[in-house]
Amino acid sequence: MTNDAPGPIRVPVGHPAAAWPQGGPDEPRRGDPGRLPITPPIDIHDGPDGLTLEADLPGATASDLAIQLEHNVLTLDAWIPTPDLSGSRLIHQEFPVGDFHRSFILSDDLDRERITAELKDGVLKIHLPKSDRARARRIDIQS
Amino acid sequence: MTGPDWAGGWDPFHEFQREMGRLFQSFASSQTFRHVRAFPPMNLYTNGEEFVLLAQLPGMNPDEVELTVTSETLTLRGERRRPEGVTDDSYRRQERFMGRWSRTVGLPDRIDEERATAQFADGVLTVRLPRAEGSTPRQIALTPPPESRPRLEPPREEDR
Repeated sequence: MTNDAPGPIRVPVGHPAAAWPQGGPDEPRRGDPGRLPITPPIDIHDGPDGLTLEADLPGATASDLAIQLEHNVLTLDAWIPTPDLSGSRLIHQEFPVGDFHRSFILSDDLDRERITAELKDGVLKIHLPKSDRARARRIDIQS
Repeated sequence: MTGPDWAGGWDPFHEFQREMGRLFQSFASSQTFRHVRAFPPMNLYTNGEEFVLLAQLPGMNPDEVELTVTSETLTLRGERRRPEGVTDDSYRRQERFMGRWSRTVGLPDRIDEERATAQFADGVLTVRLPRAEGSTPRQIALTPPPESRPRLEPPREEDR
């Protein structure tokens, strides 16, 4: 990656209430309150240090994204503004316009204190490091 | 209200759609419906003066998307790659579409391709396609024929 390319935006992983961008979960969000939450597609892959989760959240920005960890449940919410196309009619629809929501149960061998997340071009990447005791230790075999 | 309402019955996206992306074979059947959907999904708006097409392309950047328009069609193509160094067998779950993709859609009306603009932000591509001058609906006056024709006679009793 070159230095002048816009880098990913770090997203804090918070505990409930602290992570909500505006007020709290009870505060009404802008937009259509009746719209249904959309389940974003995700990938999860294994790496040497832990798991990486990637979620497609097209239209999401860091200011309207919340990642929360409560006990062993990781929840992500992204509020997507309705496109500003006032005066236009939707004449063909292949994707719903709405907010993304999905939760995951984390296994015990992940280090919940060191979870990090970044958002770039509408893809959220969450790093879920293995806890020290769960990490496979490579032992050199002496010949 | 400007322009005809295309919402009823007319579907340009199925006319020309070609799905080039290779779909993964290894999904559980409950997940496959997600991948049968065309990539990228597109919504089309109009206000009568222009069409606005939104396409969801998360993870792609402008250099990786090829967009071409003619007066009647729009073509998008590119390739969505998985992160470097990530192998097949390291996936525990794989729901996101990856691979080469290409879509060509027919537009409901002629557009002025010279004035088309596109912008890309947060994984959403927005293409504005102004309608061509000649294609705006023109009111045609209905005039009576120059000479009045003989009126139709009402049917006579004996013809019934």
